Order: sequence, then structure tokens, then C-alpha cells
Amino acid sequence: MRYLAPVCFCIFAAILVAVPLTASNEYELRLFMLFLIYGIIAVGLNVLVGLTGLVSLGQAGLFALGAYSGAILATRLGFDIVGCCLGAAIVSGLFGALLAYPTVRVRGVYLAVVTIAFGIIVENVAIEWQSLTGGTTGLSSIPKPNILGIRLSGFAFYGVLSVTLFVFTLLIHNLKISRFGRTMLAVAQSETASRALGINSTGLRTLAFVISSVTAGIAGTFYSFLNSYISPDIFTFSDSVRFLLMVILGGAGSTFGPVIGAYLLTYLPEYLQQFQLWQKFAYGALLLVVMFALPRGIIGTLKWGFDRVRPPAPVPDAAEGLPVETTLRHEKKALAAELVATALTVRFGGLSALSNASLRVKGGEIHALIGPNGAGKSTFVNTISGFYRPDEGRCELDGVELTGRRSLDIARLGLARTFQNTELFGEMSVLENVMAGYDQRLTYGLLQALLRMPRMRSEERECRRTAIGLLAFVGLSQYANEEARFLPFGLQRRLEIARALAGKPRLLLLDEPAAGLTAHEIDDLEAMVRRIAALGVSILLIEHHVDLIMALADHVTVLDYGQVIASDNPTAIQDDPRVVEAYFGAPLDRADAVEAGA
Amino acid sequence: MTTTIQYILSGLAIGGIYALVALGFHIMWSAARAVNFAHGDTLMLGAVLAVVGVDTGIPLPVACLLAVVAGGVFGVLLERFAIRPFTATSSSIGWMLTTIAVGVMIESLATLQFGGFSRPLASPGVKSAVHILGAGVYPQELAIPVFALLVMFGLRLMQRHTLVGRAMQAVAHDKRAAALMGINVNRIVAFSFALASLLGAAAGVLVAPVIQVSASMGALLGLKGFAVAIIGGITSAPGAVIVGLCFGVMEKFVEGYISTAAREIIGFSVMILVLLAFPHGLFGKREVLKV
Repeated sequence: MRYLAPVCFCIFAAILVAVPLTASNEYELRLFMLFLIYGIIAVGLNVLVGLTGLVSLGQAGLFALGAYSGAILATRLGFDIVGCCLGAAIVSGLFGALLAYPTVRVRGVYLAVVTIAFGIIVENVAIEWQSLTGGTTGLSSIPKPNILGIRLSGFAFYGVLSVTLFVFTLLIHNLKISRFGRTMLAVAQSETASRALGINSTGLRTLAFVISSVTAGIAGTFYSFLNSYISPDIFTFSDSVRFLLMVILGGAGSTFGPVIGAYLLTYLPEYLQQFQLWQKFAYGALLLVVMFALPRGIIGTLKWGFDRVRPPAPVPDAAEGLPVETTLRHEKKALAAELVATALTVRFGGLSALSNASLRVKGGEIHALIGPNGAGKSTFVNTISGFYRPDEGRCELDGVELTGRRSLDIARLGLARTFQNTELFGEMSVLENVMAGYDQRLTYGLLQALLRMPRMRSEERECRRTAIGLLAFVGLSQYANEEARFLPFGLQRRLEIARALAGKPRLLLLDEPAAGLTAHEIDDLEAMVRRIAALGVSILLIEHHVDLIMALADHVTVLDYGQVIASDNPTAIQDDPRVVEAYFGAPLDRADAVEAGA
Repeated sequence: MTTTIQYILSGLAIGGIYALVALGFHIMWSAARAVNFAHGDTLMLGAVLAVVGVDTGIPLPVACLLAVVAGGVFGVLLERFAIRPFTATSSSIGWMLTTIAVGVMIESLATLQFGGFSRPLASPGVKSAVHILGAGVYPQELAIPVFALLVMFGLRLMQRHTLVGRAMQAVAHDKRAAALMGINVNRIVAFSFALASLLGAAAGVLVAPVIQVSASMGALLGLKGFAVAIIGGITSAPGAVIVGLCFGVMEKFVEGYISTAAREIIGFSVMILVLLAFPHGLFGKREVLKV
């Protein structure tokens, strides 16, 4: 399995070399070059569709933008093909960022609409801006491709195209197996959990769209050179659908799927030409068939079938893991992770979920936050971790203001959390879940990921070993390769704790970690929390289980109706009449008042 | 002055169509957190079937009614077979692709059956123009924005005062809680898609006498309807109608003073700029994330 990807790349290279040698005429070679261009688009679009799970229906627009940019640079300024490609990449990349940023931070669905609209904008600008684009007649007499003034022969141009496709496929494969691919998949599966782990979902989605824009732009430039003529009506909405279909048909998220999809959909129209008008209908029908019969695409289905027959991959050796004592322990100086929340008030409409609630978690302590259902505990956690904005009040961690920061920034400051209803990245493996949690500690950048530079490799190794150590710590070593969604509930909770710890937090918020666990599992949890605390991590525990709290907590704060009604050591809390009243109701003479309040 | 009035009046007419389409997107999104990307083709179906119906000798009102009903059926079928199987996981994009696929198929089928040419629907609403402050408009054009406003208020009344309307709001708010309260969520979602598609097909029938009916008319109108829904904030019905009417008027002015190409460029650029400044639309509410 380790050698599968290199072998596939070798075969791919061999095919690319063999085709021009065996092509019987120029038309055949030209058609294959068209496939290479479509392949470049599909491979780039795969980052968006396959990794971040977003859809663009404007690739034809970006393709057109690249074609026009390249053609104009070549005819007006006499750029060579490299210069044209760079220019087109910059223009389409800029427009990609401009389109994606406002769109993906709201709803992924909007991207589909915005990209269709962008396609129409490009088409109309091309019609309207006659002095630059030639209007409806388009641009003709685009010079033959040249590099530094040396004219490229047909075969040399073929070489440029095939090398570009090969390199892009390789770079994007590298991206997929790096932190970027991992976190893009994570964002697609749970944006909420990603934010809590310090992963910048808007940034990653924008990056994915920019990558797919740049590749479409470069492909566009190549197209204008290949065709030596472009006009606005070449780039239509049904081309955008076709590009998308290439990715889905081949297998979204796989390395070679989009290439295969592009190949099939370049040659299919040759056979469909006899049907003329039915061609568009066939694209629609094919997309529909793929969605129902082959939702993983060709490569995805093959891989799925292959995974069923071969023996399961061995779980990573626990000895490979780094012990948590070395990977999570903080230096003595940083030990005092102190969370101070002052007079927090959160209102939903007319309802005050929290009013004037203050709390102080001292460095290194286990602090429990309890209260009856609806007391505002979850609101409190969500406010501290940046998911809600408090209407009044503030909170800080070691003197650093948290209020007003995004949840991902708060996570990066050292505050990790789990969720009441577990929020795992269900389709990723257990190990990958923990590695995604480690992401905020990785420092290598996009270039290092694309080129698999030594720093990337060593950091990834460190990340993997830390994750393996963490799995051993929570007792999940044997499940490392399972998909997270198939774990039993109790183990999912443990995985979530391991994932939260991977970011080396100074403060861990556990939101009802014992809910739904068996008595035995709760005992394990108790021991685990103790061991985490022993590593110097402060813990804020939101819980219902009185036994667990009494056994663990150094300090207990009680919330009721959004207000702190008591805050003391566990034994004092147990005897506090206000706490008893909140939980068990008031003495008879005051029961009516309490009922009215409920 | 006359030109200004003319632009405003005909802008309100096309704006009313955008409003109706956007309302459909709003209704579908509220119910299912998914929409029919072939909604523009629902509109096209309404218009094309009305024309075909009149061609075959069916009286105009009956033909229009049948066309609208057919549009509604189309929406329900699409929800059941193309959308529902893919909305189980919230991150799924499957429904987007299946509805796009159906849209592409319907459009090319209609092209094959209906031909590439465009025809208007004969209607008493466009027999003679009326003159308002010197601007000439057809009664049909005046009726469209009025109809859109009536639908908006009707929707509101339904949501306030009928059981099914309240159930729609409950489903929009929280599907699981609604199901636990004994609401048949699937049926409400199907009803919502039926309602949205009826409105879409009705928009098609209403606009058919005013603009040319063709197999490709749906794509752009549907897209602009979605753009309007995004600008208005897809969670807001009044937002859809108000923005729709304004968008139509703005288009007429741009078209009149610059060009048709500029109309598309400016219209869609406005959408992107609004998203940049108001991520949740002009009238939309920020959805509180439950974690």
C-alpha cells in the first residue's frame, strides 16, 4: 500500500510519454492535449469538491478568465507562455479569493450560486469590453506558444501540457496528505469542531477555491494557445457542469479520479456527437446516474472494493507513539493557566441564559461547573470558547482577553473543549481525528506541504507520533484505523478528549463528558481526568454526576437560572441549602414560587 | 420623467418575478436546509406548458392552471427522489448535484420538444397598454408585483394562523424537535417544496405574456431569484420580496442607461458586494449555532 501512489505516478508518466509516440495523426494528439487541459482543471477543482466538500459551478468562468488574460498578455504585450500562465494564474487567483472569502464564511451552498453568477459576469464583461476582448467576435490570431521567444513545436507544447498536468497532480496529492488536506476534510465534516480546534475554516475553504481558480486560469491560457481563437460563447454553464462531473465521475477526493474523469468526458463527446441535441441531456443523465449508482466515483468505488477484500491495515505500533508526559506537559512557568470570567451576561431574545455569572478557574485545578438542566452551563461553555458573544462581561485566560475573539483564536490560546453531543470528524480515521487536533501546533506552510519539504515530513512525523501516544493514553490504540463514526459512543467521548488534548491546551473544558456513559466507563473517565490534571492542564468540568464531581473537583461552582448561586469546595457545596434547593426543590411553603419560575 | 416612471413600472414587473422565485428558495431552504437548483426550470416548465396547452386548444385559464399544478408536481417529485436521499447528512452536496442534473435534463428536453425559438403567451393582460404619467405598461405587468406582495402577506398569515403554517415554522427552527412534537417532518418538507414550486410555476405563467417563452428562460430567472434570496437573507420572506422588487427596478435602469450586458455584470456584482458587507443578507437573521 505504501508504494501504491509512487507506482501510479510512474504509470501515469509512462502513459503521458507513450501517447505522442503512438498517436497516428495530429487530430488525435490535439484531442489528447485537450484532455490534458481539462485534466488540469479537474485536478484543481478536486481540491474544492473532494476535500472541502464545496461545489463550484463557475469553473468555465475562471477558465474563460484565464484564457482571456493569457490571450491578451500574448497578443498585446507579447508575453511568452510562461509569462501568460503566471499572469492568468494571478488574475484568476485574485478573483477566486474575492469570490470565495465573502461566500464561504456564511454558507457553502452560496458558493455554487456565486460561481454561476461569476461565470455570467465574465461572459458579459467579455462581450461588453470590446476594446480589450474583441466583444462577441472574440480574440483571434493568438500567436503560437513560445518560451523566451523560442517557438514551441506541437510536440514541445504537448510536453509543456503533460508536464504541467503531471506536476499539478503530484502537488495536489502532496497537499491532500498534508495538514491542509486533513483539515480541509475536517472542515467539510464538522465546522464546529474545526473551530474549536483552532482550524481556520474560512481560510481553508478560500484556499481551496483559490487553488481551483488558479489551475482553471492556467488551463484557460493553455486552451487559448491550443485553439488560437477564443470568444465568449466557448465558455458556457454546461462546461462548468462538465468540469464538475469529471471530478465526481472519476472520484472526488482521490488523486487520479479527476484525471480519469477528464479523460472520459473529453472522449465521450466524440461518441455523443451523432446525437447532437441530446448531448447536454446526456451530461445531466450521467451526473444523475453517477450520484445514485456510483456516488464515490470510479476510483473511490475501486478503492472501496479493494479495501473490503484486503486484510485491514495493521494498527500503528504503540511504541511508535510519544508519551503524553513529554508531548503535553507544560513548563512550570506556564502552569498557572487561570481562567477568569467576570459578570458574563448572555441573552437570547428576552431570555437571559446567563446573568452576571463570574467564575475563576485557578491554574492546575479541576473546577466543576454544575447546575440543573437549563441553568446555563452550556451557554457558559459556549461563551468562554467563543461560540457565543456575551452581551456583557468579559473573560480572560492568564490575563489575555478572550471576549470578542473568534473561537479558533481562543483555541489557539490554549483553551480546548469537548462537546456535549460529540462532534467528531466521522468519516476520518480515529488517528486522523487526533492529528487534526494537533494542527494548531504545526508550523509548516503551503509551499512546504506542496513540495513535501524536510520540515513538513519531520513535523508530520512528530504529529503522528504524538497522536499515537495520545491514543494509547485514552486507550484507543487498537482502533487507530477505524472510522470515527463506527466507534461505540463511550469510545467516541474518549476520542474527543484525545483530540482536544492534541493541541496541547492549558485549559480543557469538558462539556458533560460522563453523559451516556456506563458506570464502569465513568470510573475510567475519572481516572483519565486525574491523569490529565496531573500533566498540569487546568480543567473546567461541566457535569451532572454528583459522585464524579465530589471525587474529582477541587472547586465547585453552581449555576441556576443563569446565575452563580454558590462557589466553594465540594463538601461545602454539598451542604449549601441554596444548592439543595436548586436541585431538589424548595421547602413546601416556597414550592409554588419555584414552579412558577420553571 | 416618463422614462423614469417607465423603468420603475417595468422594473417592478420583472422584480415581482424575482420576488416569487426568491420566496420559493426561502420556503425550500427553511424547510429542508436544501433547495432545488432546478427551480428556474420549474418556472420555465410553467411558462412552456401554458403555451403548449393553449396551442393544443385548451382554454387559457385552464391551461395556466394545469401548468402551475404540473410545476408543483415537478417540485414534489424532485424533493422526494433527488433531494431527500441526500439531506440525511448536513454536509452533503449530493442534492445540489442531483437537482442540477435534473435541471440540465429538463432544459435540454424542453429545447428538443419546444424548439430553440421563443414565443409569447397570448393573454388578455397584454391586449392594450394603460398609461400612467405618460408611461405605458400592460395590466399584466402591474399585476405581477401585486401578486408577489399578496403571496408574501398570505404566507405570513398562513404561518401565523394555520396548523400547517406553524408546523412549517417549527420544522424550519428545529427538525428534530418538530418530529418529537408529532409533526410529520417529511410531509411538511414535501408541502413546502410543493408550495415553492407552485409559486415558481405561477411566476412562469405570469411572466410568459410579458417576455418571450423559451426553454432556456428559466436558467437566468432562477439564478437571479437565488441572488435576490441571498441579498435579502434567505431566512427572510419580506427580504426576498422587497429586494426582488428593488433588484428588478435597478436592472431596468442599468439596462436603460448602459446596456444589457452591464445589467448582468452589475446585478451579480451587487450580490457579491452585499455578501461581503452583510454576510447574512440585508434582512436575514444570524443563525445561532447550537453546540
